[in-house]
Amino acid sequence: MSHKPTITDSLEFPQNSMIPRAAFGLGFAGLIASFIGYFLQPDQFFFSYIVSFTFFAGISLSALITVMLHHITKASWGTVFKRFFEVFSSNIWVWAIFFIPVLLGMHNLYHWTHPELFDKASAEFDKILYGKSAYLNQTFFIVRQVIYFAIWGWLGHKLYKASVEMDKTSDWGMTTLMRKISAPGIPLFALSVAFAGFDWLMSLDPHWFSTMFGVYFFAINFQAFWPVMILLVFFLQRQGILKDTIKQVHIYDLGAWFFAFTVFYAYIAFSQFLLIYYANLPEETLWFYNRLEGGFEYIAYGLLIFRFALPFLLLINREAKRSRFMLGLVSVIVLVMHFLEIYWISMPANHAGDAHGLHFSWIDIATFLGLGGMFFGLFFNKFKKESMIPQNDPKMDECLSKSYHH
Amino acid sequence: MSAPAKKKIEEQPKLHGILGEFRNPKALYDVAALTVKSGYNKFDTYSPFPIHGIDKAMNLKKSKLGWIVIGHGLVGFCGALTMMYFMAVMDYPMNISGKPFFNAPAWVPITFELTVLLSAFGAVFGMFFLNGLPKLNNPLFNVDRFKKATDDGFFICIEAEDSLFETEKVKELLKEAGATHIEEVYD
Repeated sequence: MSHKPTITDSLEFPQNSMIPRAAFGLGFAGLIASFIGYFLQPDQFFFSYIVSFTFFAGISLSALITVMLHHITKASWGTVFKRFFEVFSSNIWVWAIFFIPVLLGMHNLYHWTHPELFDKASAEFDKILYGKSAYLNQTFFIVRQVIYFAIWGWLGHKLYKASVEMDKTSDWGMTTLMRKISAPGIPLFALSVAFAGFDWLMSLDPHWFSTMFGVYFFAINFQAFWPVMILLVFFLQRQGILKDTIKQVHIYDLGAWFFAFTVFYAYIAFSQFLLIYYANLPEETLWFYNRLEGGFEYIAYGLLIFRFALPFLLLINREAKRSRFMLGLVSVIVLVMHFLEIYWISMPANHAGDAHGLHFSWIDIATFLGLGGMFFGLFFNKFKKESMIPQNDPKMDECLSKSYHH
Repeated sequence: MSAPAKKKIEEQPKLHGILGEFRNPKALYDVAALTVKSGYNKFDTYSPFPIHGIDKAMNLKKSKLGWIVIGHGLVGFCGALTMMYFMAVMDYPMNISGKPFFNAPAWVPITFELTVLLSAFGAVFGMFFLNGLPKLNNPLFNVDRFKKATDDGFFICIEAEDSLFETEKVKELLKEAGATHIEEVYD
């Protein structure tokens, strides 16, 4: 009944665009500045680095799960965004290279890497960490990282390749292949991301543990993924790219995901806090105690207001999710809060020197711009190589002719 | 059983509205737009399946349900906090592992639950209220042809309550719009 929707936009990213080069330039400048920071304040550098690293790795990881969910549910809501997700997730393997500085700085970052803690004769002997040494030891840590990045890299690369091939051959059998990859991919993803959360951020405070931390780690990253997508689409459309292909209805869906996972984030983050607060066991409460003093309490209360309450109230109305201004505003707020939340999780563990208490360093900004520049440089560099939407996807027509139900 | 039946015969049957049948969704869509243009606002359309965009053609305003829900939600939110404040701070304060009587984090789950519960009540019963439910009978059921509305009939009924309603004018409107069948509906 419905006629085939036509695409009027160019589907090729403008090859002479300055965007990839500008991003790489910013990235190199930031990384060089960070490298100088390493010589001046090594501890600060490594903590700043893990914060920014997690921020951008989280975007790629969230993109990967979104691609897999899209395949497994045979969804059509986001077919126009699928290439974005695929490019983000296919770049995860590069992030393994950017993990090397973390491995080099393990001794600065992770208290549990100090050998004297496990030496019974030493005065520093730590019975609790000794009990955890089967998991928290350097060899197994490195092995785990290899496993995580192998899983993510393989899934991201495979799904991207298959989708690009479908662009060229129109072979819809590829959708079956992608579904077959995604089905086991989702549980693998869930476990590996949970453990990555334990390794990267939770083990910064090795005495502390929270069984919810894995899902908490996923929740913060996944909430922050939607504002990245929203702002990226706004940015591209402002350059005249995909202006008519990505319509208001598609952006509305991004807003709906954003709203839903704002609530999910709040539910998870608060549940973790409430259980620990109510049980009031010293081994668990200490983590929150350190994060509710020395200036960090401002971030904690800020999260409650600016990462949940305000976005919730601003986006609850349907009209708000159709307003570009409102979506853009809330996106910026939440991304700032996301950075501050990872900062708030990580930094109190940096007890070296006079680093106690909240104070920002220029190295925080340098690593953020450095890794961010590289991240988006890599993104655009890959994005410009293929069509910007999976043009021969069987769900494409359905996605393009979508309209509001109300 | 016999008494109401008798009464019905004595009473003059009240005109409910004029029912027009149309051939297909497009015709119904067009007549809905035409009806709005002619100034009627007390009318409704009936079809076997949802018709995309008919709400726009009928010039339906956005449902007020959202406001009912948020009202209930706020009552639940404030009610929960008031209740717990009265119980745990004023009426029967208890020392639970040294925590303050006014224990905001511990109150969140109950506040959340009551907000959600009352919002859900507001949504369901508000929907009933706005739809005029429960309604045991509708005058349209007196029309035999109306059964087609669940099968292959597309109907519009312009109701007598409308301030512009004049039987002849309405019939003419429907006829000009291409109705295949026009019928007066009595209550």
